[in-house]
Amino acid sequence: MSRWAPALLLACAAVLLPACDADGPTPGSTVVVFKHGKLFGDAAPLRALLDEFERLHPGIMVRDETLPAGSDEQHQFYAINLQANSPAFDVLAVDVIWVAEFAHAGWLHELALELPPQERSAFFPGPIEAVTHQGRVYAVPWFVDAGLLYYRKDLLEKHAFPVPRTWDELARTAQAVMAREPGIAGFVWQGKQYEGLVCNALEYMWSNGGEVLSAGRVVLDTPRNREALAFMADLVHRYRVTPASVTSATEEPSRHVFGQGRALFLRNWPYAWRLFQDPRSRVYGKVGVTLLPHFEGGASAATLGGWQLAVNRHSRYPEAGRKLVRYLASVPAQKRLALAYGFQPARVALYRDPELLAAQPFLATLERVFAAARPRPVTPYYVRVSQVLQSELSAIVAGLKTPEAALAAAARKLREILADEA
Amino acid sequence: MRSALRAAGMALIIGYCIAPFLWQVITSLKPAAELVSLPPLIPTRLTAEHYAAIFAGHPFLRIIGNSALVAACTTLLALGLGAPAAFALSMLQVRGRAVILAGVLAISMFPPVATVSPLFLALNALGLHDTLFALVITYTTFSLPLAVWLLANFFAALPRELYAAARVDGCTACGALARVVLPLAAPGLLAAGLLTFIFAWNELLFALTFTATEAARTIPVGIALFPGLHEVPYGEIAAAAVTVTLPVVVLATVFQRRIVEGLTAGAVKG
Amino acid sequence: MKLERELDRPLWYLLPGGLLLAAVTLFPLGYVLWLSLQRHSPLHGPPRFIGLDNYLRLAADERFWNALWNTVYFAAVSVALELVLGLVIALMIERTSRGRALFYGVILLPWAVPTAVSARMWEWMYDAQIGVLNYLAGVHVNWLGSPGWALNAAIAMDVWKSTPFVALLLLAGLQSIPRDVYRAAAVDGASGWTVLARITLPLLAPVMLVALVFRTIDAFRVFDSIYVLTGGGPADSTETLSIYAYKVLFQGLEFGYGSALAVSVFVCVALAALCYAQLMRKALR
Repeated sequence: MSRWAPALLLACAAVLLPACDADGPTPGSTVVVFKHGKLFGDAAPLRALLDEFERLHPGIMVRDETLPAGSDEQHQFYAINLQANSPAFDVLAVDVIWVAEFAHAGWLHELALELPPQERSAFFPGPIEAVTHQGRVYAVPWFVDAGLLYYRKDLLEKHAFPVPRTWDELARTAQAVMAREPGIAGFVWQGKQYEGLVCNALEYMWSNGGEVLSAGRVVLDTPRNREALAFMADLVHRYRVTPASVTSATEEPSRHVFGQGRALFLRNWPYAWRLFQDPRSRVYGKVGVTLLPHFEGGASAATLGGWQLAVNRHSRYPEAGRKLVRYLASVPAQKRLALAYGFQPARVALYRDPELLAAQPFLATLERVFAAARPRPVTPYYVRVSQVLQSELSAIVAGLKTPEAALAAAARKLREILADEA
Repeated sequence: MRSALRAAGMALIIGYCIAPFLWQVITSLKPAAELVSLPPLIPTRLTAEHYAAIFAGHPFLRIIGNSALVAACTTLLALGLGAPAAFALSMLQVRGRAVILAGVLAISMFPPVATVSPLFLALNALGLHDTLFALVITYTTFSLPLAVWLLANFFAALPRELYAAARVDGCTACGALARVVLPLAAPGLLAAGLLTFIFAWNELLFALTFTATEAARTIPVGIALFPGLHEVPYGEIAAAAVTVTLPVVVLATVFQRRIVEGLTAGAVKG
Repeated sequence: MKLERELDRPLWYLLPGGLLLAAVTLFPLGYVLWLSLQRHSPLHGPPRFIGLDNYLRLAADERFWNALWNTVYFAAVSVALELVLGLVIALMIERTSRGRALFYGVILLPWAVPTAVSARMWEWMYDAQIGVLNYLAGVHVNWLGSPGWALNAAIAMDVWKSTPFVALLLLAGLQSIPRDVYRAAAVDGASGWTVLARITLPLLAPVMLVALVFRTIDAFRVFDSIYVLTGGGPADSTETLSIYAYKVLFQGLEFGYGSALAVSVFVCVALAALCYAQLMRKALR
């Protein structure tokens, strides 16, 4: 036992060392911590941007800390930290569905100055709606995401079908092509019990004129929604254009199936485009992209995704934090990040920027999509709402419940959640 | 016939344990373009690009170093605190022995998802945010129940007279523990130590919550940071899995060999 | 015995570990218990003491009972399989003379791979379209996406992962059995099966209890692996108590109710442990 003691002490000492702050800030400067989910690719361009900010604002240093990219992990992290009133970070990147929740919980500073009313039209309307809670703005949109329809233009040409505009057309086209092309799935999307399923389902419901919440009331259980979700279930069970394994599919598995050339249509986010346009991809040059279809009498709807910048209510340096938010959301910063990472800026003007369009021509197509993209129900209780929806929608896709039963149950639970708080 | 059956059984078991891991190895050597395609099962050409990527794109070496430090400290501390406690509970008269054992066990019965928040509060209050020390303390605490129970078990199986004899012969309590009791419980020590090491090596929830920067990042958090916004780099994850698992396996093999040598050399008497 | 009492103070041996345990766990556990008696959510204004209301809500919550059933099923099946397989593996390693250390290291592989990684790996292996399992077997089973298969697929993954844990413990137990016992049995002419049933297993019983208890505790608290594989779906068919607690705590931000769920896990596990202890006592008599 005594032999181990010195080794133990040495080891503990070595472990304690990192507890001491090795590179402290230079005296007189504030260190602002920017917490965000991992951006794809190299960390260097973001760091260069932050260095530029430091040059423009002497006395402020920015430390950026990454969180895992998964939305759930980040939400968990923020829940623990913000509930504990932690000042450990100042600026945070917030998912579009959390802003109302965090604002209601008193975790974010109001950012009226960073996003005054006259500047709001510079951003897409969807994100602006999502960051507004009770008339006040709590985050600045940073980058956006929305659902798209990918299709195999080579297969459509081969079998002489036009790009579908309505869901019915999509189903019929998929059935016809599947009959003539063995081994091809008609339409792949995300049907696992997770947030992505809600994104998919909303696109059906909205494109049929349905809605989840309206003026704070639950309007989920309506004929339009039932019809829309019945179609979603039929894709799997009646038309059989979607494989039953959709119930475990998320973005990547569905992207891979399409990218291996084994599907005709894919609903996914814009990130997949870059991967399909890689010369090594099996579907290189064969992929087209368009707005999602709609039902007769409805309009195409895409679910809005993306991230916004906010300031921690318990930050020790809110002013410096606001400056950083303003800087990162500015036109030059968004443009630089778009060029470096290929992410889609939240500012409309950049979609007409010649330099950006030259580097990423895809943005021209995306502008239309983002302009019409709709945020998921903006309520502080959205995450709870989503959980209820995920469960019931999953039952629909798995064929365990009819849309009527599922929507009735979901509506009942949603009313409980929302009434609870009144 | 018997040995053929046994060999077949062994092969089956080894196959069962290894097969998914083998799939990881194959994946880690597949070029990016072929990562998801089946066929081919075996890649047409092997590439080390994923292994290079995990070290180039992330400070993975440092991350492995952090994990090694944390796991080693945790194991030493858990055994160092757990062995005496187990010894007392099994070989000495302790009133309320059952209650103590039950209480120690009760600690491990709460789901970590519930305890992570208050622990975070406490560690923050103590100024241990983003340190490896916080992890060592936490991991040791949650490893102690298994270590104590396991070692208490093994100590209890040893004859009491052995210990008494050693004391009569003039050993201090500590010395008797170290020189007589522990060597006889070597298999139990190895099991407890290895399981503690692996727990500390692979733990994710606490590591994710209590650390923020690379200074205190451990392997599971490092791997959790591989995926981008939507993309999951399966090749890199597979390469990382292979890289971090093999040292543990080597460690286990080495220690087991020493145990076996110790046993066959007659350390375990009847 | 008298000698020991005179010469040793058990307290000194128990104190360091005891202090650490108390220091680190008393606050969190107490806090969880305290939270479970409150309505505590940043979305509901200041916290309010509500006594046992959370537990009453629990009892009426069908999602809780669903999660409880899933958890019990998961724990029962996986622990049983792990015990049997672990015993087989431990016996095999014990009987091996050559290459035992290597065998040992290899067996450890599933337990040594980080859970987050092996869960992703299995998720991919199970994928109905591009997964290697369906490819090799030539079938098109929807492992993770059909309510009938999903929980069993998760069990299969857990058994793969956790059997080494049991094997490790049982092997250590086997290695501690003195050789004399076997020699005596051989002299008495006992057959292999008799030795196993009458001598080995009873001597292994205490270690088996430890393995059983700890595996049950872990199975009841299972979270990471299932969350990555299925997220609790499809249609809540794989939602375990820990996943439900996680969703309530960190997604729903209901810290009071979530803590009550955590306490319910504790209660279940404690009951299970008590059952095991009773069974062991009866079996050994």
